[in-house]
Amino acid sequence: MKGYEKSAWIRTLVFLILAGGSAAFLAPFAWMLVTSVKPLAETMTVPPRWIPSTFQWHNYRDAIQSMGYFWLYLGNSLFLCVMTVIGTVISSTLAAYGFSRIEWKGRDSIFLLLLATMMIPFPAIMVPVYGLFKSLGWIGTFKPLWVPTFLAGAFNVFLLRQFFLTLPKDTAEAARIDGCNEWQILWYTVLPFSRPVLMVVAFFQFMATWNDFLGPLIFLTEQKTFTLALGLQSFQSQQGGTAWHHLMAASTLVVLPVIVLFFFLQRTLLEGIATSGSKN
Amino acid sequence: MKIIPDFFSVRRNLLLLGMLPILLGLAGCKPVVSPPPGRIVIRYWDKWSGFEAEAMRAVVDDFNASQNRIWVDFSSVSQINRKLMLAIGGGVPPDVAGLFGNTLAVYAENNALTPLDRLAQENGVSQERYIQVFWNICHHLGHLWALPSSPASLGLVWNKKVFRENGLDPEHAPTSIEELEKINDRLVRRDKQGRLVSVGHLPSEPGWWPAIWGWWFGGDLWDGHHITADSPANLKAMEWIASYPKRFEARELLSFRDGFGNFASPQNAFFTGRIAIILQGPWIHTFIQKFAPPDFEWGVAAFPSADPKRLSGVTLVETDVLVIPAGASHPREAFEFIQYVNTLKPMEKLCLGQRKFSPLREVSADFFSRHPNPHIRTFLELAQGPQARSVPPITIWALYENDMKQAFGKVWTGATTPVAALHEVQVHLEQEFTQRQRRWDRLADVLQQKWREE
Amino acid sequence: MTRLQKRQLLTGLLFVSPWVAGFLAFSLYPFLASAYFSACDYSVLSPAVWVGPDNYLTLARDTIFWQAVWNTLFFAAVSIPLGLLMSLTLAILLNFNVPGIGIFRTIFFLPSLMPLVCLAVLWLWMLNGDVGLINAALQPILKTLNSLFSLSLTPPNWLQEPAFAKWGLIFTGLWGVGHAMVIFLAGLQDIPRHLYESAEIDGAGFWQKTWAITLPMLSPVIYFNGIMSLIGSFQVFAVPYVMTDGGDGPERSLLFLATYLYQNAFDYWNMGYACAIGLFIFILILLLTLLATKVSSRHVHYEGN
Repeated sequence: MKGYEKSAWIRTLVFLILAGGSAAFLAPFAWMLVTSVKPLAETMTVPPRWIPSTFQWHNYRDAIQSMGYFWLYLGNSLFLCVMTVIGTVISSTLAAYGFSRIEWKGRDSIFLLLLATMMIPFPAIMVPVYGLFKSLGWIGTFKPLWVPTFLAGAFNVFLLRQFFLTLPKDTAEAARIDGCNEWQILWYTVLPFSRPVLMVVAFFQFMATWNDFLGPLIFLTEQKTFTLALGLQSFQSQQGGTAWHHLMAASTLVVLPVIVLFFFLQRTLLEGIATSGSKN
Repeated sequence: MKIIPDFFSVRRNLLLLGMLPILLGLAGCKPVVSPPPGRIVIRYWDKWSGFEAEAMRAVVDDFNASQNRIWVDFSSVSQINRKLMLAIGGGVPPDVAGLFGNTLAVYAENNALTPLDRLAQENGVSQERYIQVFWNICHHLGHLWALPSSPASLGLVWNKKVFRENGLDPEHAPTSIEELEKINDRLVRRDKQGRLVSVGHLPSEPGWWPAIWGWWFGGDLWDGHHITADSPANLKAMEWIASYPKRFEARELLSFRDGFGNFASPQNAFFTGRIAIILQGPWIHTFIQKFAPPDFEWGVAAFPSADPKRLSGVTLVETDVLVIPAGASHPREAFEFIQYVNTLKPMEKLCLGQRKFSPLREVSADFFSRHPNPHIRTFLELAQGPQARSVPPITIWALYENDMKQAFGKVWTGATTPVAALHEVQVHLEQEFTQRQRRWDRLADVLQQKWREE
Repeated sequence: MTRLQKRQLLTGLLFVSPWVAGFLAFSLYPFLASAYFSACDYSVLSPAVWVGPDNYLTLARDTIFWQAVWNTLFFAAVSIPLGLLMSLTLAILLNFNVPGIGIFRTIFFLPSLMPLVCLAVLWLWMLNGDVGLINAALQPILKTLNSLFSLSLTPPNWLQEPAFAKWGLIFTGLWGVGHAMVIFLAGLQDIPRHLYESAEIDGAGFWQKTWAITLPMLSPVIYFNGIMSLIGSFQVFAVPYVMTDGGDGPERSLLFLATYLYQNAFDYWNMGYACAIGLFIFILILLLTLLATKVSSRHVHYEGN
């Protein structure tokens, strides 16, 4: 049995609440889908029009065409996602382990520094960061967008640390007595129990890279190297109005893979119970 | 032990993930349109996207085909201000950038641009070619910083059908604010619950130029040396704004406006007839074509002033411009391209594509007949008139505009008086202006010296 | 220091070394540079000129800045607890094994996946004063109140009236609690089943189990989400910027600190001043985080210790 509540009427109640709430949370997605097949004139009406007069499926083809390099953008986005996910998972796991499962002098004060890095508003440090990449000769390349993820982002380290701290210590102690080194302890006693949270970290990083607009905007200089999220900008026009139907069609294409990915991720989360269960 | 398979699957997954970048790297090598070998590549960023970018892209393609020495690589860039600032600061600017003319002052005074005086002189580009006001916009502190790309002016745009249906002469636009308000009163309609259905004119619609209403009352925002936000004429304009929440209810005005929907939609209040008169530029034609009902009839005239005898034909002129950022690697080639855009045929191709008029004095015989906008000539005449004005060439213009927008908003809801609102703006801007002036005083000698040598 | 401690220190540093490198390059150095610029008149493109405390003195007198401080504090004080409550409740509900739970989880996470512009447009409609859904729901309630107490209440124009604009934005934020919700969900998976089983043997019901087991066991994750939403809400920027077309809102009621920083840096060419605002935000968040950590330290329960 999964979940921790057996009482039938509580479960029915939960189901009803979830079903009721779903409508509100589905609305933006539904609206995006509907808009993506509308004629332009029906896109921005007040009140919103939920059923289009005709279904213009060719909006999708038109949107891909007017983005110019859609497939190239897709390749660029995927490349960056893969690199950043790998970088984040590896480096954040190591750093979080160092911040949680090893006792060393000054650890918690340095951890405070890690927290502090998230409190600096990015626009205030954008200029020196840009200058740094400039002096490395990285402007116009993908490197500013993925190399830093191999150096552990604060958010993920913090998240993993909180989870590693909740794992019981006795297994690790036993392994230590058996002569395992820290790498082995990490591999054998921490990672297997951390699958749900590692999946979350990987997925969040994927999403962050997939949707990142600001980084590519600043650091990429050639249209051919743009990402999908940046390419979406081409639908917004200064005085001619935005091509909402195309924007929404392209947005749907951009969002859909992430939704599918999430659907599978949450299944892993559910299975996580079985895995974590064995830690006792 | 149960954990072993887990461990293997994690490792296997990581291995698979590790292979992906290689595959993607191979896939990513697909060639795209690249410049022919041996050409000097000019990077050109513009804020335009959509059909405006397409119009420029066509001109760029023509240029690339017209000669075999230079290749212009055009990118449409969003949030160009930020990106350009970082790129220029980082020493990796594009060779050409497209900006709004009203940002030239702040770019120039902050050492972001290459002066074009010498290049223009050597290539015979001079004042005679341009409608005066556009040539002026491109100058600041005695230097030429840009050449215009596509310009615009503002006029009163009215819905003839609504006029006719309400017993007004559909061919006659109001010539004074007084007359405008008379028409306004006649066009106010309410439904049975007393809610506003339609009006003649609202200064909040579309609300894109809240700073300049004083112009139609004989005022100005800047006298050449000082901020004049609270001058008597600007105050008169603000009192006119303040008359609205007195005639209507403030909350009613807000919810009336909320009912309009998006500007670029068939619910645009002007297209549905809920507002009959607006202040707009030539691009309104694009929206009318896309969103207005098929029987929509419209006219364009000068926006009326408070005193039509002394003040008529007041309009805002603005132009998008092409500049060469400071530190660009190929200024000569960049200028060659800019100059090409500023010759008759390419310029008209661009302006036809963007539905605007040309900033050049010379006009092809068939330009107006080919132009889709039937009123383009009126907009051009407004731009050529003696009362055509551009926004003050000061570095704090963005701040000025924003402060005036806030002042307008507060007066519009009756939250404050015109005097208090303008006083607040005046005090704030004077402080800011002094501070920027101090910055300029520190830099002036060095920069002026540098610009003279360039 | 004993040999063991030394070895522990070296191992620990080895494990966190990737982060240390990143910290020096992408946080410490830019932070110091930014702190230096905050004492300069600096517009990015002209050389920075040292002006000492000028920017900070200006900040102290700048009424717009203090309005942004107030707006930000108000927003944070309301939206952090509401957001935590919402995401935790949703996570607990979505941890039930009811039919279609996978689809429910996806649905409740959907708004967090959507491009910002879709969300902004839809909320502009919901909050529309004339035809918005929220006012449509309010209308009958206000009518009843009006007739009962002979009042003349009318529904607000949410994003156009300063008194209501922030509330409109806070509602919007509740929609996007998906991230925190997923982290809570992951945290719920880590609570050992046997704790619930033994509680059930003792006859504990749903509420008792939630209070006695779920919340204490989840406390490290609650702390995490709390700190992250604290940091996040003091840097709120993108949504109001898109929804209000420039970020100010009526009578600057939606002008937040991060917006003002951004405007000064890139719209007003005042990077030195922007850096001073940035440093102010940094110190404000830091102090509040320390406070929150101190207050919560007694309640956060780590099984490892």
